[in-house]
Amino acid sequence: MTGSSAPAVEVQAVSKWYGSVVAVNDVSFDVYPGVTGILGPNGAGKTTLLSMMCGLVKPSRGSVRVLGEEAQGNIGLYRRIGVMLEHDVLYPFMTGRDFVRLAARLQGMNDEEAVDRAIHAANLEDAQHRPTGTYSRGMRQRIRLAGAIVHEPDVLILDEPLNGTDPRQRVEFGDFVARLSGQGKAILISSHILEEVEALADRILLVVSGKLAAAGGFHAIREKLDERPFQVRIGASKQREMAAALVALEAVESVSLDESGGIEVLTRNVAELQRMAPKLAQDIGSRLYRIEPLDDSLESVFSYVVQR
Amino acid sequence: MIGALFMLALRQAATRRKIALLIILALLPLGLAVILDATVGEAGGLIGPVLEGLVISVTLPITVMVLATGAFGNEVEDRTLSLLTTKPVPRWTIVLAKFVATVAVAVPLMAIVAAVITAMDADGAGNAPVVAAVAVSVGVVAYASAFTWLGLLTTRALGFGLVYVLLWEALITSFLSGTRYLSIRSYVLGTAHGLNDRAFDENLTIAMAPALVGAALVTVVFFLLTVRRLSRMDIQ
Repeated sequence: MTGSSAPAVEVQAVSKWYGSVVAVNDVSFDVYPGVTGILGPNGAGKTTLLSMMCGLVKPSRGSVRVLGEEAQGNIGLYRRIGVMLEHDVLYPFMTGRDFVRLAARLQGMNDEEAVDRAIHAANLEDAQHRPTGTYSRGMRQRIRLAGAIVHEPDVLILDEPLNGTDPRQRVEFGDFVARLSGQGKAILISSHILEEVEALADRILLVVSGKLAAAGGFHAIREKLDERPFQVRIGASKQREMAAALVALEAVESVSLDESGGIEVLTRNVAELQRMAPKLAQDIGSRLYRIEPLDDSLESVFSYVVQR
Repeated sequence: MIGALFMLALRQAATRRKIALLIILALLPLGLAVILDATVGEAGGLIGPVLEGLVISVTLPITVMVLATGAFGNEVEDRTLSLLTTKPVPRWTIVLAKFVATVAVAVPLMAIVAAVITAMDADGAGNAPVVAAVAVSVGVVAYASAFTWLGLLTTRALGFGLVYVLLWEALITSFLSGTRYLSIRSYVLGTAHGLNDRAFDENLTIAMAPALVGAALVTVVFFLLTVRRLSRMDIQ
């Protein structure tokens, strides 16, 4: 591994476009040893970024260096990095052990103990002699992970590694990643699920629409996300009176009536709104039907952060 | 390392479905040869229409096309290619493994078909069956290189390959003599005629030396183009 002050991955002013579609737009960041999460909604450009770090995709502009070397066209670099891409692909006619053994052979290793260690780390000893075509989604993820770590790389790039895994496997994966991180390795994990990254990563890179929206520790990112106003729909009788009462609340930023007769409220304090709305309804003699959040999706959270 | 890659490529090339398809393709000219032999039975009646007209013009290129376009095409489609390209493996070794696997499956099949049909013909005495087997093997190698490249270049390799085989190899080069120097079919016929000018007609052929040089050039050029393409393409 490189010295602790040297970045394991350097992404400098990188853009990637396919025809008129911009997948990644002028992104720069460094990755140091430890666990770094790349967080973003589907289609944000995470996989393209990771593919450029793996040297599989050539940047249209900018440069990507891994362990001090140019990533693109650098075949020797694969001795020091392990890659597990998002696609759930294996050779279905191979057993799990044969798959990991092939990965080792292609690394120039003829070391059955290394194969044993990788399979043990993936917790697949019992299923190693079964064809991978019979594996569950979670097992396939784990055997691919074993293939990616069989040569004990310094940098591990994992695209959506927790897809298809159950809660117990996620805990095991977290322990596994923590062990590797403790050995001074740099691990990059992409996900579109905030909670996944929160549990694993020391540092987060927030990617939205091909841009780096924010970078830092989880708590700093979380605080930034928590600042955003939420959109809430309230269903009540006497809509106009209810809207007038709501707009007077300190927690409410704006109120509008929608076409279906509901009241759309923008608030930074959903809890306060939920507490006060029934009281207001009672005061003006209105019946309260429902209070529901409209935009709690990750995409809306990301969009807010980018707009800031 | 190359051994592991070759075994993987061979396993991917020799799927049951592909082998079944290739055996059917091989049985068609053999069946036709049996029928013609029983009904016509004249010397040259099999080598001309069946071997040169059907096997070398159609069965050979299509058989190799099915195998070679899938060598990379299937891996691009099912996204397993990244399993190989994220390893410290020189790109030329990946291409070589795929190419050799295609040749290893296609050569025995086509060589047997060509040798059997030639042996059934009254003109096919002496070394003619062996010559036919050698000549189609030259064709397998050249076609394998060209179609491996095509499979990596486009997802519609089978369609383009079919148009190329039927339009260029089977039609245009039969009528325009100058184009024969750019035809793998002519390289096969030229090789056969050069090795045995009694059994194999000199019509539609070029001399053996330019035929072998042409086949070698096609093989090397498309091999290098495939390596270049694999080294430069984006893989996701």
